Amino acid sequence: MSEVSERAVPGRGLRGRVQRIDWHDRNTLAYVVLFGLAIVFPGLVQFATGGNGTYLVSTAADAGVYVLLALGLNVVVGFAGLLDLGYAAFFAIGAYTYAMLASNRLAVTPLHHAVHIPFWLLLLVAVFVAALFGALLGAPTLRLRGDYLAIVTLGFGEIVPRVFRNLATWTGGVNGIPALDVPTLPAWITGPWAGTPLAVVRDFQFIDPTAFYVLMVALLVVIVVLINNLQRSRLGRAWMAIREDEVAAAAMGINTVTTKLLAFAIGASFSGFAGCFYGAKLSLVSPENFSFVVSVTILLMVVLGGMGNIPGVMMGALAIYVIDFYVLTNLPAWTSGAANALGLGFLNQQQGDWPGLGDETQRLIYLVFGLILVCTMLLRPQGLLPSRVRQQELAQASTQESLADVESA
Amino acid sequence: MALLEIERIDASYGHVRALRGVSLRVEQGEIVALIGSNGAGKTTTLRTVSGLVRPSGGRIVFGGRDITRTRPSDIVKLGIGHAPEGRRLFPRLTVYDNLLMGAFTRRDRAGIEEDLERVYTLFPRIRERRTQIAGTLSGGEQQMLAVGRALMARPRLLMLDEPSLGLAPLLQDTIFRTLVEINAQGIPVLLVEQNANRALEIAHRAYVLETGSIVMEGTGQELLASEEVQRAYLGM
Repeated sequence: MSEVSERAVPGRGLRGRVQRIDWHDRNTLAYVVLFGLAIVFPGLVQFATGGNGTYLVSTAADAGVYVLLALGLNVVVGFAGLLDLGYAAFFAIGAYTYAMLASNRLAVTPLHHAVHIPFWLLLLVAVFVAALFGALLGAPTLRLRGDYLAIVTLGFGEIVPRVFRNLATWTGGVNGIPALDVPTLPAWITGPWAGTPLAVVRDFQFIDPTAFYVLMVALLVVIVVLINNLQRSRLGRAWMAIREDEVAAAAMGINTVTTKLLAFAIGASFSGFAGCFYGAKLSLVSPENFSFVVSVTILLMVVLGGMGNIPGVMMGALAIYVIDFYVLTNLPAWTSGAANALGLGFLNQQQGDWPGLGDETQRLIYLVFGLILVCTMLLRPQGLLPSRVRQQELAQASTQESLADVESA
Repeated sequence: MALLEIERIDASYGHVRALRGVSLRVEQGEIVALIGSNGAGKTTTLRTVSGLVRPSGGRIVFGGRDITRTRPSDIVKLGIGHAPEGRRLFPRLTVYDNLLMGAFTRRDRAGIEEDLERVYTLFPRIRERRTQIAGTLSGGEQQMLAVGRALMARPRLLMLDEPSLGLAPLLQDTIFRTLVEINAQGIPVLLVEQNANRALEIAHRAYVLETGSIVMEGTGQELLASEEVQRAYLGM
């Protein structure tokens, strides 16, 4: 009975929490590794590349955006079990919120007046705008389940970037909105990780990618704590119940309508947050950045990482990001380089139908990506770091029939 | 006034009429059985009470309050606990988590602990299995858990849909004995059963439902003795 009552009445306060950390738990380990890597990464990269690693740090900050997106989609798909195939729409909404309200864009619209709201305020605004649209999308789709819901969200994901593209008077159409404001802070600490001596900078401008990286890590820490609390909250348990069995959840007294709406709204809000950061870092938004592929990539990150499990999803996001934006982008250069190094330089010559090894690899990039995905899902269908429940689900699926036999016997 | 009063409710699934003017009531302290063959509308009746199905006509009054249009979540809060057809456990959660889900609408930790203990006392097997994943329980244990979970809401009325379905006779005994015990603790029970014999034995009163209408009502003993019931439902 003792362990049960402990769980039913968890101790409050930071000390109680720290005492209850189970250091042998895989998730705890994953958090420690992820956080440790995040801390040493910029220094390590600069050291390894002899100070030329800034673009890698910048890429890592972009990867952070995807981690954020995956965490948000995980609320919808992993926690509440609602399949959302148009998640990039909220990402777009967040990015465009920043772009419209932190650039000269509105000066050339019928409004004739540029708006420059500070980044920090817009982070919050983007969260609310995205959440609002999440609720708007959620409201008419709440009676739908599974496949039908997926199709409607897919439609939404197609509509939003198209609206941004065609509403050219306001959004600049295909050209997007360039020259967005640079976020500023009254004070910022810089140091060796950014290649400068330790110092406090006044009126800091976020131009250096390392600064964006540091900001992203800080935001992620806050958000991971937030989502962990969310998962353990009453709302988190309600999501879990709905994911498991909606009728049973209703019979338990869970308001399924509100609970699902909140999943959509909260999930979308993370995406809006990510979009705002993304816009500010890139200083440009364009409708092409939020295509269906983005939605699918984020979903892949969630599924491959381990649906419902927060550190798993983060690892999945990083893994897919590294494969998609680093390995696959560099693969053609690597293969042609390898051919040269091995004395097989003739492979790089263009000849008849053969475009040279590098270009041939480029052609096959998506085949390689597909193969990697298929192999991962075959070898680890539960994801890199699955949640306990999800693990159970898969284990059970294979034994369900035999269990039924036992029951009826 | 009766605790639960169902007044001439109609309900349909699409074009199929499932209930035609069903009326029944449950008084404080009673066990009321609702028997009938497959598709007679027994499950639908319970689902209209708990708000999972909207009746197209008629009225449902619980504790003096009209709940015909009330949301399912609010109906649970008003005190109607429903162990739905097919048990509907959360199969991938532990037994303990399933029980806690049953207390979802409550915020009194002490009371929840107390009721947890009560369920464990009622079903010692459930206590033994509390850390186990619900889907791996045997059929009988799952049924006990379903009843226990419904009790965790501390309901003023407990509705059970086919609690004996698919269970060995010995386990059925346990379930029905426990229902009498729960009822003795002061909780009225509205029981839907195909196993008419068993249900009528423990019921104070009972209704017979046939193709969406109540065709007979009486005390459990009266219906047990009725020739029609014996012929149609008791296989005699």
